[in-house]
Amino acid sequence: MDELDKRVVDLIAEVLVDVNKENIQLNSKIVADLGAESLDIYDIIALLEDEFDMEITDEEVEKIQTVQDVADFIREHKKRS
Amino acid sequence: MQQRVVVTGMGMVTCLGTGVATNWEALSAGRSGIGPISLFDASDCYTRIAGEVAPHFDSARHIPVKEYRRLDRFQQFALVAAGEAIDDSGISCPPENPYRFGVIVGSGMGGLATIEKGVEVIRTKGPSRISPLMIIMSVINLSPGMLAIKYGFRGPNFGLVNACASGASAIGEAYRLVREGCVDVVLAGGTEAVITSLSVGGFNALRALSTRNDEPQRASRPFDAERDGFVLAEGSGMLVLEAREHARARDASIHAEIVGYGATDDAFHFVMPDPQGDGAYWAMKQAVEEASIEPSRIDYINAHGTSTDLNDKIETLAIKRLMGPTANKVAISSTKSMTGHMIGAAGAVEAIYSIMSIKTGVIPPTINLDFPSPECDLDYTPNKAVSRTVDYAISNSFAFGGQNASLLFKRV
Repeated sequence: MDELDKRVVDLIAEVLVDVNKENIQLNSKIVADLGAESLDIYDIIALLEDEFDMEITDEEVEKIQTVQDVADFIREHKKRS
Repeated sequence: MQQRVVVTGMGMVTCLGTGVATNWEALSAGRSGIGPISLFDASDCYTRIAGEVAPHFDSARHIPVKEYRRLDRFQQFALVAAGEAIDDSGISCPPENPYRFGVIVGSGMGGLATIEKGVEVIRTKGPSRISPLMIIMSVINLSPGMLAIKYGFRGPNFGLVNACASGASAIGEAYRLVREGCVDVVLAGGTEAVITSLSVGGFNALRALSTRNDEPQRASRPFDAERDGFVLAEGSGMLVLEAREHARARDASIHAEIVGYGATDDAFHFVMPDPQGDGAYWAMKQAVEEASIEPSRIDYINAHGTSTDLNDKIETLAIKRLMGPTANKVAISSTKSMTGHMIGAAGAVEAIYSIMSIKTGVIPPTINLDFPSPECDLDYTPNKAVSRTVDYAISNSFAFGGQNASLLFKRV
């Protein structure tokens, strides 16, 4: 995990406090493995938007499943901007 | 058939500390909880003092970890106060008859700090960046809602908005639900956390707050000639109200009985009380008549006593009208002299203080009563607690908006 990956894990852990942080892996599915419900997802998105100063649309959220997907999406966004 | 209504659980968090016992010890010692504002930068405000709840107020860990950052301060206070009240009541949750258990929580202004943050986001980043938690953290009915989730109470559930009377009105309305047999138990009280720039600025604009910034602990001085406004504070008080037979059936220990509730409105002015104190008088009178007692039987009045010029004068007048020549004999005090004014939580916290006076035989003092005001000439228990047997105690709460609520408690 690089710095960005670690930061993403930190933010997800901040919302999913019931999940042991060591269990949040890059290949963890945010809903299926980590048990996030809809409010958790919106909460995580808002934290990511603040942290990386970006906006994530609902269409883009649909495509995200794993922690890795989140990190890749942010990297992609950084390249574009 | 009407039920008799008793109090079987009590909990609170105030600027004097967390828990009924901690609060009662501070009140009996005449200690003030007022200090400089630290929750926001108040250096540009006319008023820079308040009664803030200290950090680590959730000493018994009543707030689930996950919820902590998802709740506004006013909701966190309600969870802590309710946690103590439910523990104290011994009710096992979730109850077997969940639809017979209700929750009513009063609050004057809800999650004002959250709303202020949201407005700041609109200005700096735009409306698309508002937190998904903003609505959840600001609406008043989320407090009773989250308590229903926590305790599995599925009966009547609502927030009650009545400014400074919210907490007392919540208890009064809950009392009626239990008395009429609609439910067996209601978790009822009030909560408030509005030590924010918007609220301090707004109350300052109404010239309602004390500006005695150099002497925070001497600023709240109800009934004193040098009073110059109320001192804003925050906190929560929660009570478990229960049908007496229900409490007896489960062998619960009973703190006191609620025997009267009066609810009126001045119908006079946005923020000024009726000069004759009509609404306040009728609220107390209704409570006393409901209990079928003579006003002279009242031993203690926990006054609304805000430390504003008008309230203290007019409340005094109303008490004199209620009690006639016996007004000189009743013990009165304003615990706001020590706690400050918790707005929507005040009535609930003070209801508990009134019950504690019945239970302990101690009348907490009105501190800072150094120069009695000529229009305030009753026994306000100046500066030192006194011992007295209390069989009946009234707790008064009067609101901006003209709403008045009086609760009458009886020794059991």
